[in-house]
Amino acid sequence: MLGRRETGLGEDAASGASTGGREAAPAHPNRLPTDWWRRNPRYVLYMLREFTAVPIAIWMVWFLVEIGRARGGSAGYRPHQSLAFVIFSVVCLVFAVWHSFTFLRLSGLIVRIPLGERTVPASAIVAGSFGLLIVATVVVGGLLILGGR
Amino acid sequence: MRHPGPNRLEGLFWALFAQSAVLTALVIPAHILVQGVLGPLGIVPAFDQHYSTFAAGLGNWLVKLYLFIVFGATFWVFAHRVRYTLLEIGVPGGKQGLGVVTYGLAGLATLVAAYLLLTVP
Repeated sequence: MLGRRETGLGEDAASGASTGGREAAPAHPNRLPTDWWRRNPRYVLYMLREFTAVPIAIWMVWFLVEIGRARGGSAGYRPHQSLAFVIFSVVCLVFAVWHSFTFLRLSGLIVRIPLGERTVPASAIVAGSFGLLIVATVVVGGLLILGGR
Repeated sequence: MRHPGPNRLEGLFWALFAQSAVLTALVIPAHILVQGVLGPLGIVPAFDQHYSTFAAGLGNWLVKLYLFIVFGATFWVFAHRVRYTLLEIGVPGGKQGLGVVTYGLAGLATLVAAYLLLTVP
């Protein structure tokens, strides 16, 4: 997310055009073409990362539907088991892993842990984040499996 | 007119997004893998594949609280990312307008999650 909001050129530029009644230089319009993200493979990956939130949210809505079915009691309960759901979940899983990988990889830039007069190296923070992902996957996955026994 | 000084509300939104994104990055892959792939294929048992185990799990208040936080975090990440991405690709509506739509959707979905979790047996 490093577009016009990071540069402050979007709304601010437009609102800064007037200076006390004096005609100011025209503000920089900062209008990117809508297809800017298709011009470089890195931009496409960036956009893919940003939209990982969409399939993940849709999958969670699907989970909500399942919880809603459980409200009707055992007679009306049908878990998601179709092949279409599995394929959809595989696609969502790819996006979820992509979100995890890209976000946790940034943790070394975002998190600052003081260590005396220095800070913990970014590489150690990234390694710790991915370690935490493995632990969380084992614990959460294990509980979901154990809960089904 | 914009007031001088930092926009604290915007800062809060970003802080919530960061925390939510970390949480979802850590736990969502496990949910999708077990409940969406391995469980339905019968490779492993999963708590939502039978009513008895699903109801027993959802009947636990710790599970309800955990799921509510996960649902809320997921929908918040969705709202925040979609809001800014739409802004960046030039979708009309402005920052505020897109914020109302995306945060509104996320808020509504979180409320539905709370209602379902509170009313499930």
